[in-house]
Amino acid sequence: MKIPSSMRSLYKNPFTLLNRYKDTGVKVVGYTCSYVPEELIISAGLQPYRLPNIGANASALTPSFVCPFASATLENILRFESSFSGFVIAHTCDPMWRLYDILKTKISKPLFLLRVPHNTGNELSLDFFKMELKRFQKFLEKNCNGKIDHNALLNSIELCNESRTLLKNIYMLNSGSKYAVNASDLFSIVLAGMWMPKSEYNAKIKELNIGDDKISENVRLHLNGTAIYDIDLIKMIEDSGGFIASDDLCTGSRYFWSKVEKSDDPIHSLAYRYLKRIPCPSQGPLKERLEYVNYMIKEFKVQGVITLAGRFCDPILYDSVHLRNMLVKNGIPTMIIDYETPAQEIGRIKTRVEAFIESIGG
Amino acid sequence: MSLQRKKSRVLQTTKKIGELIMVYFSNASDVKAQGKPVAWITVFTPVELLYALDIYPIAPEHFGAMCSARGFIMEYLEEAERSGYSQNLCSYSRCSLGYVLNGMNGLMPPPDLLVTFRNSCDVYVKWWQSLQMHLKAPLFLGETPYVLSSEDLDNYVLDYVVKQLEQLIELAEEKFGSRFDMDRFVDILKLSDKASELWLETLKLRSSKPCPLGGRDSASDIFPLVVMQGTEEAVKFYEELLGEVKEKVSKKIGVIDNERFRLLFDGIWLWHAFDLIKYFENGGAVFVYEPYSEAWAYRLDTSKPLESLAKKILTMGLNVDIDMRIERFLESIKTYHIDGAVLFSNRSCKTWSAPQLVTADILSEKFDTPYLIFEADMADPRQYSEAQIKNRVDAFLEVLGEH
Repeated sequence: MKIPSSMRSLYKNPFTLLNRYKDTGVKVVGYTCSYVPEELIISAGLQPYRLPNIGANASALTPSFVCPFASATLENILRFESSFSGFVIAHTCDPMWRLYDILKTKISKPLFLLRVPHNTGNELSLDFFKMELKRFQKFLEKNCNGKIDHNALLNSIELCNESRTLLKNIYMLNSGSKYAVNASDLFSIVLAGMWMPKSEYNAKIKELNIGDDKISENVRLHLNGTAIYDIDLIKMIEDSGGFIASDDLCTGSRYFWSKVEKSDDPIHSLAYRYLKRIPCPSQGPLKERLEYVNYMIKEFKVQGVITLAGRFCDPILYDSVHLRNMLVKNGIPTMIIDYETPAQEIGRIKTRVEAFIESIGG
Repeated sequence: MSLQRKKSRVLQTTKKIGELIMVYFSNASDVKAQGKPVAWITVFTPVELLYALDIYPIAPEHFGAMCSARGFIMEYLEEAERSGYSQNLCSYSRCSLGYVLNGMNGLMPPPDLLVTFRNSCDVYVKWWQSLQMHLKAPLFLGETPYVLSSEDLDNYVLDYVVKQLEQLIELAEEKFGSRFDMDRFVDILKLSDKASELWLETLKLRSSKPCPLGGRDSASDIFPLVVMQGTEEAVKFYEELLGEVKEKVSKKIGVIDNERFRLLFDGIWLWHAFDLIKYFENGGAVFVYEPYSEAWAYRLDTSKPLESLAKKILTMGLNVDIDMRIERFLESIKTYHIDGAVLFSNRSCKTWSAPQLVTADILSEKFDTPYLIFEADMADPRQYSEAQIKNRVDAFLEVLGEH
């Protein structure tokens, strides 16, 4: 697949885009996770920008045993604060919650905490989340000089839905036993969508020449985890004889899998979509997540499952026990790789991945 | 520095806690044997409501603290770790998961219900989901959104929590045939409120010099306020405690004879290294204030029972905005005449530890208060480096002496 270099390599330094936004007078709102509805930010005439851990080390403001991913994200927010009009943190897990606390004492830009219910199955949670989204809407209007009208919101929902459809169409090319798209390409495209203007992004995706199904003997894998911005890690798995046919990442399929329903009550539709989406390990019923992994395994003819578990990521560390138990019971080979800073541990991880792939028969 | 050993003491009432705990757990087994429901709860769950519904609450966090303090936690930690739970996960959770995987042959009878409200940390969600995966008991996963301002105690956030309490009542009625009686519930709330009132009055007396109630007391004395809120036994205990503390104040008897430094302790206590508190006391330093000790004290408005209880579980512990928490922290420096702060960076409690460095800096900037931060784990003794930490305590006490 030929991907324009502006998209392919954006993950290496996505902050370059901030200069472009500054030069063109675009106001940017930084957000931390896929539970923040980009639609609301776009409808306010603002550019949503997903805050990654790329290029930063863990902040000295947090203890060493607190999620290095959240800590590096904190470092990036402090480094690039002046490029943003405001920040939105989603309360999903403890480190993200406390990231908000720390930022409140450290930055002067408007800051918003979106309280995402963990019990997504409870109908009361939907009502609560609708109220949270209305509060978020007011925050954007008041602090970021954005005005949101009904039609603008409907349009931004359509724009984001279009992105989701385009990405899912590409993703499904790997279904069954097909080898159409490498995950390293696919994930770099998905990431670009979290930083680029959505309409420009959709246009570029439509121009992509995906190519045909390839012949490959690589072992088909499902990748389980949270947020992976480090595409080199993905490439390493591919170089070791793996083909990541499906995933359960919030920088992967979880980001675009389900769409927002069209309705006259867009806030309700947004609340419903974001609460009932494929859950992050920190949210929602565990059973739903396990079912999703099972579905992916069948749909994409997966031969083995790799869990990338951040060393201090509580949600993935708890879930990995239950996921492993389920996979072992179902006879699916699985391995859990715990890591702190992938770039510094890639040799160790590669050895384990190679052994795993070899054991499956790659 | 060689520290001159000083005589330090705990209160007579504190010494009764051990027996109270054993009775509490043995009651749980009796209740279970009678076929009545037992719930496993996280420690910021509204136990008053469970008592009103005739559901006996047990807190695995307590169990973890107790196993750690009595030196038999390793068996459970290792069992959980063998089953795949990482050493980087909360040690309380590993203890209870290990206990479950080990067959539950101990003080906690198996639960008929799992109840948590996500107010103190998000780990509660994953921990209780994990318990459910192993135990297959029904799970009530309550939400208590982070309180960003006082407005949240009077808007849709409060409504959300009140309605969930109503859901919990419905669940108990449906599953266990519990009958919710409002008059009885209000009586229970009155007892809970009384216990909080007595405890808060007792804590205030720690501003006296010398301080009559130290860290070893407060760490133990909090127990009835956590899981026995709404019982007559708890009220009786706090009446007795207050009486003894008042007497100490009037006679000017402190925790130690020569009180040199008055300290704040931020964090959960190290249950396996309780002697660390004594080590401070031997050096002439006494703990006079801990946010932990205040976390369960709440004055209830019994004219609005469910609403008031909802406010209580919303504002407990670490669930209120950092500005409000820092304000309380700073206030305590003046109220309790604090000379220095000890902050325990607890590997198991990321939600508490994550913003500690920021808090410490603010404390230092505003009041020039020296502080000590050390890293360990509240229940896992493997993460505790005794000699190293005691060296740092020595150095800290020297700094305080020169300050």
